Amino acid sequence: MSAQTDAGSRPATAPAAGAPGVFRGAVAAEWTKLSSVRSTWWTALAGLLVMAASAGQLAIYAANANTNDDPTDDRGVVTVGSVLIDSVEMTQYVVLALGLLAITAEFTSGTIRTTLQSTPSRGRVLLAKAAVAGAVTFVLGLLLGGVGALVARPVLGEWGSAPAAGTFGDIVAVAIYLALVGVLALGLGAALRSAVLTITVLLATLMIVPLSLQEPDIDVLNRIADVFPGVAGGHFMAGDTEPYPSLVGLLLLAGWAGAALLLGRYALRRRDA
Amino acid sequence: MITLRGLTKRFGATVAVDALTVDVAPGRVTGFLGPNGAGKSTTMRMILGLDRPSAGQALIDGRAYRELRRPLHEVGALLDARAIHPARSGRAHLLATARSNGIPTRRVDEVLDTVGLDARAAGKPGRTLSLGMGQRLGIAGALLGDPPVLMFDEPVNGLDPDGVRWVRQLMRSLADQGRTVFVSSHLMSEMQLTADQLVVIGRGRLLADAAIDDVIAGSTVAVRVRSPHPDGLAALAARLAAAGATVQAADRTELTVTGTTADRVGDLAHELGVRLHELTAQAATLEQAFMELTADSVEYAGGPTEGGQR
Repeated sequence: MSAQTDAGSRPATAPAAGAPGVFRGAVAAEWTKLSSVRSTWWTALAGLLVMAASAGQLAIYAANANTNDDPTDDRGVVTVGSVLIDSVEMTQYVVLALGLLAITAEFTSGTIRTTLQSTPSRGRVLLAKAAVAGAVTFVLGLLLGGVGALVARPVLGEWGSAPAAGTFGDIVAVAIYLALVGVLALGLGAALRSAVLTITVLLATLMIVPLSLQEPDIDVLNRIADVFPGVAGGHFMAGDTEPYPSLVGLLLLAGWAGAALLLGRYALRRRDA
Repeated sequence: MITLRGLTKRFGATVAVDALTVDVAPGRVTGFLGPNGAGKSTTMRMILGLDRPSAGQALIDGRAYRELRRPLHEVGALLDARAIHPARSGRAHLLATARSNGIPTRRVDEVLDTVGLDARAAGKPGRTLSLGMGQRLGIAGALLGDPPVLMFDEPVNGLDPDGVRWVRQLMRSLADQGRTVFVSSHLMSEMQLTADQLVVIGRGRLLADAAIDDVIAGSTVAVRVRSPHPDGLAALAARLAAAGATVQAADRTELTVTGTTADRVGDLAHELGVRLHELTAQAATLEQAFMELTADSVEYAGGPTEGGQR
């Protein structure tokens, strides 16, 4: 039995080995891997459910917290977007699992060796994974934002407002935040290899450490907490001007994601697969 | 062509692979043998750029694996048949691999057909694949890019006799097409049937790199000698020992001689005028040759078996 289709005249080199082609191939492979396991779709569905529940609950709180009898004088009225942004606090842990599993599942199952055999450049593998994980979590973020808005709007009722442009901007900000956190999770997962360890570190970085720093309300500690990715992302989504412009919040979060990728690449290069 | 130059891998104080220098040439099947823990898999992983050598280098047609841009067109490898995501189907696994190197989907179905996995088997999730199906899937993955260099780590593990024979024929045909085929195995009888060339390592060191016939010929061939004349036989034994052969007397009328040939024993007997009733050379096997080569480097040696010594 022959494995050959064109015996004798084998091409030893690849057809048209242009740089973008090689990267595109790596991206296509990552998308095929991510979309061919059912857990990806279950995770997305879980994210939608958590978002709907979270947005609904926060909207109920917001409506109940209002003691002003007259919503028309504006005090106590919240935007649907702000409810969305608060809901991300919970929902992000479901979404970042997508970024995480894209790499840790490869270590668990041993497919990382097939992946690195196909694409020996560690940086290219990780960038391709980041492109796919980032794109998927971004699109999922848009969906989550849409679902959250649809749930929050009627629950808020007269205590909510949803200016079209503002709400749309908030949804996009939520999607960007989730995409960057997904990439952060991916980079950390590549460095730490274990899903449980990575989730633990992410919980600490996104929530526990900055919350602990903010707890005593000491200025220096607050400043330090502001640099953490979750806090920076929060300032970005909320469009804050204090303690820094929202764009700085975005750049800080992107910096964390980029640093995690570099760390992951370093680990992949140094360690035996 | 696979070129190893002083290839070394240390894990802490342990030397897993010790300064291997070997050329694996195209157009033949090269068997890669060694006891458990000899460093075969580590060597293969270093060739594929998965493990970093502590020293030396492994090159494929003159280039390090990590420099290859679309490596599946140059090297195909089966390392671990179990390495598939438990929830991903075999076909999706191959499809992802193919896409990474710009290989068309049609080729995925071709190699699945080549290894004898039908649509139903290829559609099953990884966790339900038997070891044999995993091996076939792994071989399919190695063939995807139609590469001139192929490596297989224990490819017949878990295969039924039919599958074993199929793998043997596949290796043969790949080599006959002019490809480099490098196969590790611990099944001596299988290697004796498949390989043209042998690379034998023990404790990470190169013990032999030779044509399989030479390896077998180099093994100790025992010659049995019987004579009705104990005195003449004793004289023959003394002459053989003086000539450097090892002589064991089974009883007064029978000797087992190693380290020489039946021809030589016959000549000496003739010179001494000793009448012989039997002069038999025992057939050499790869297994015997392997045992002798690796006698000093077996990592997990069992105890001697009762009556095993002759």
